[in-house]
Amino acid sequence: MGNISNRYAIVGVGESERSKNSGRSPLHLALDAARAAIADAGISAKEIDGFMSYHENDSCTSHQLATYLGVRPKYVKDITGGGSSTEMLIADAIGLIEAGMLNTVLIYRSMNGRSGVRMGGGGWDMNLLQNAIDGGSFIIPYGAGGPGQWFGLFATRHMHETGITKEHLGHVCVSFYEHAQRNPKAFFNGKPLTMEEYLNTPDLVYPFNKHDFCLESDEANAIIVTSAERAKDCKSRPVYIMGISGRQCHPHTHYWSDLSQVASDYVAPEVFKMAGVKPEDIQVASIYDCYSWVVLRQLEAYGFAPRGEVGDFVADGHLKMGGRLPSNTAGGMLSEGYTHGMNNVLEIVRQIRHEYQGTDRQVENCEIGICTGWAGPDMAGAMILKN
Amino acid sequence: MSYQRPIPLKNHDNHPYWDAADCHELSLQKCECCGEYAHPPGPSCAKCGSTELSWENLGSDIKGTVYSYVVSYRPFLPGFQDEIPHIIAIIELEKAPSVRIIGNILECRPEAVNIGMPVQMVWVDITEDRALPQWKAVL
Ligand SMILES: [Zn+2]
Repeated sequence: MGNISNRYAIVGVGESERSKNSGRSPLHLALDAARAAIADAGISAKEIDGFMSYHENDSCTSHQLATYLGVRPKYVKDITGGGSSTEMLIADAIGLIEAGMLNTVLIYRSMNGRSGVRMGGGGWDMNLLQNAIDGGSFIIPYGAGGPGQWFGLFATRHMHETGITKEHLGHVCVSFYEHAQRNPKAFFNGKPLTMEEYLNTPDLVYPFNKHDFCLESDEANAIIVTSAERAKDCKSRPVYIMGISGRQCHPHTHYWSDLSQVASDYVAPEVFKMAGVKPEDIQVASIYDCYSWVVLRQLEAYGFAPRGEVGDFVADGHLKMGGRLPSNTAGGMLSEGYTHGMNNVLEIVRQIRHEYQGTDRQVENCEIGICTGWAGPDMAGAMILKN
Repeated sequence: MSYQRPIPLKNHDNHPYWDAADCHELSLQKCECCGEYAHPPGPSCAKCGSTELSWENLGSDIKGTVYSYVVSYRPFLPGFQDEIPHIIAIIELEKAPSVRIIGNILECRPEAVNIGMPVQMVWVDITEDRALPQWKAVL
């Protein structure tokens, strides 16, 4: 494969309604999101010959989705995967288009994340869980059963080493909640957060209180990827993929002995090299935010602030509008909603298209943005996009 | 009342660790090829891929320091509702610093725990024939 930089584009984005109790199946939600993305791209469903999704055994299949759009595609693929799967699947789609197998691919994530299968757990069989998780019998008997605890172990150590404080975690939350006030579809629209309120909220799992945790929602999101040539025939303004990269690093997905590294540390140089830009060229960001601390660790990994200065970076308001790196401008997963990362992808595509032009939600004149994915400390992905 | 929390499941790869724990001893898997300890244990060395694995018994006097921790104020798994708050820590072993073992620090107030704190492995008999390695602060 040759250099694919700027030769592929995201040409359609769409979502279903967002709720806490959809009363509908993931297939219905996925159909809503897919139809919205198809309308956004201005193409016919039959032009899509590949369908892909990621799931945690909580979704419908790509085959079902294609069927009820009236399409018989060449290729369907459903992977189990975490919060860096969007980037991985976009890379897969590009590879398949580059290989001549496909023309246009729809990628979606659909979940009843609040009313159905909840990511934070509950109702699991303890023996099944010990077997399902690599090294599970070494963590489950100790009560370490949720990502808040797992990532919290990284956070406590990182805070100890770099001087990041609870207040710095709070700045991430306050900044993203502020964005949510400009997004009428955000769950926390109308519910801004002050630092005082943040600091007075009791911890669920030290170092995290409820504001540091992402939301849960019933929702589907979809995006459409095609070649830059085909993108010209679409109705929407194409958002070109300058660079994309994914990476695994730790030996186990749920048992970490070495807290000094995360996969994002390795993704960062690759994605910037491929895109041919530097961190200071990035004007808008979607940074995976399953927990507030995860944002801080990625700011360090992607070089937006040097190690040890990330806390000051967020305290100085650089994640807010008018800051150096307005991030998660729809409110992110901390305050907009949660589709396992994909709602952040939709927002950055719309920012880079200047879809909010004329409103206070638009990051003025943004041309280049980064979208990061975090399946865990062990697995990450990122892409750099431009208009 | 019987033990309500999850009991470590023994399997083909990890049973020597838990068998030793039941005897109040620590046994670690070690790679004969690259010399690295493998924890959690597996079918081959996670560092070099070698299947030349052996087990090393480190006995019952196991010391370490807190490498990191969280304090849970809410039970995330069944059986822990009566153990709130509880401290989940990663402990760096004094005798094998590359090995870091996850466990609870018992009889410790959340405000008292800190990174670098010295701890000692203790074994809690949870059923008639099973014991769970845990940690207590060295006073
Ligand atoms: Zn080895």
